[in-house]
Amino acid sequence: MRRTHTHHFIFALLISAILFTPAPAQKLNGHSTTPLNLTLPMKDGSVRFAVMGDTGSGTAQQRDVGDMMIKYHALFPFEFVLMMGDNMYGGEAPQDFEKKFAEPYRALLNDKVKFYATLGNHDQALQVNYENFNMNGKEYYRFKKGNIAFYSLNSNYMDKKQVQWLEDELARETAEWKVMFFHHPPYSSAKKHGSDGQLREVVEPIFLKYGVDVVLTGHDHVYERMKPQKGIYYFVSGAGGKLRTGDIDRESGITEKSYDRDLHFMLFEVAGDQMYFQAISRTGETIDSGVIARK
Amino acid sequence: MKKRYIVIALCVLVLILIAGVAVAQKTQNAALAEPVVVSPTDKAAIDTFDKQVKGYIELRNKVRESAPKLSKDSTPEQIHAYRTTLENSIRSARLNAKRGEFFQPATADFIRRTLKLEFQGKDRQELREKIFETETQGVVLRVNYPYAQTAEFSEMPATLLTKLPQLPKDLRYRFVGRNMLLVDRESDVIIDFMPDALP
Repeated sequence: MRRTHTHHFIFALLISAILFTPAPAQKLNGHSTTPLNLTLPMKDGSVRFAVMGDTGSGTAQQRDVGDMMIKYHALFPFEFVLMMGDNMYGGEAPQDFEKKFAEPYRALLNDKVKFYATLGNHDQALQVNYENFNMNGKEYYRFKKGNIAFYSLNSNYMDKKQVQWLEDELARETAEWKVMFFHHPPYSSAKKHGSDGQLREVVEPIFLKYGVDVVLTGHDHVYERMKPQKGIYYFVSGAGGKLRTGDIDRESGITEKSYDRDLHFMLFEVAGDQMYFQAISRTGETIDSGVIARK
Repeated sequence: MKKRYIVIALCVLVLILIAGVAVAQKTQNAALAEPVVVSPTDKAAIDTFDKQVKGYIELRNKVRESAPKLSKDSTPEQIHAYRTTLENSIRSARLNAKRGEFFQPATADFIRRTLKLEFQGKDRQELREKIFETETQGVVLRVNYPYAQTAEFSEMPATLLTKLPQLPKDLRYRFVGRNMLLVDRESDVIIDFMPDALP
């Protein structure tokens, strides 16, 4: 009788162990990863893209983020990736293009995912001619996907010609969504760089005048989603290859959600008047998600 | 008769209002604001600078012919070959280049005053800090030498770019600490520089 009880007890222990043990964690350079968890709705006919910034370090951490993007691409087949600048740190010899860009995202490139780059303060001007950055030889450019117009700006050198170009293009813009992407953040709570007030002085009036919806930036090596600023949604996604741990000033008053404990990338899905987003850490943890309704 | 005067007065008022709105719209953006009025001396200095710049671009276009053609879909190897050839060609063509050829005393004086105005006030302190925090280690301030490839670029303030003499697309202003450089955009060769330009 006593033996039977012991057997039952051991059996119950085994069942509990099986039931309550977390799913097997994948290992990533010694760090465990969480199971993939897509929060985006995957609606028919939606525009799907990823965002990554400050990637070009050529480190194992950059490759980890690349690997996680590839895993999520299998779940959520995004068509293209927006790059927030600092695409290559510390030199741009042919082998740097390989190590700091092509190799970490090889599987995405092989799957015909297109990358659209913007220039950061570490990027040489001739990157605009690189076949995989799709910049068409231009430092600032526009392209359209579905009902969204994307504008890549060169925030390193916002001269009169560029400002005039932006005004002219926006004045005749017919796309429903207007999304800007460039390197320096007009709003940021990071302590290292923070909000670029001088750039904001010039671009914000134009964004407001022409009803820009979303602004995506990098430069600060953190993730941050601002509270809407004058009705515009600002994101900082600058930790795709470099991280500045603990850099967020949590007292800034402009943050809606921030993350500075690991590297990350973002996924976006636009379906009609809704823009869904999900920010994912290097290890696969969802660090932020939500939906933006078009104005 | 009185009515007629009132109508005319109203028309004039409406015209003034329309003109006011138009001017306000035109000047609401700092980067598109009209250039500051300059004295005849400054204008002469800017004209001289413009001529120097034009001469450089002509020389650059000529030496660029020796560089391999670069398409918008180039490989890293093609980019590298183009950049190296362009850099070498520009440097060879300007072997005797000296500091101050572009930033001549009168031009430098105008630029220094412009910078002083742009960087004054508490709200511009942040701007100075941003320029000084740019990591420019490895940059050798020497005319006709390339800007170090591993160094960061300072962001050029948009409101300042409006006030400085305008440059063609292949030349750029850049800060390294308090020094202001004139740099070739594609090859990153330092064309000229002004020491202690920032106040």
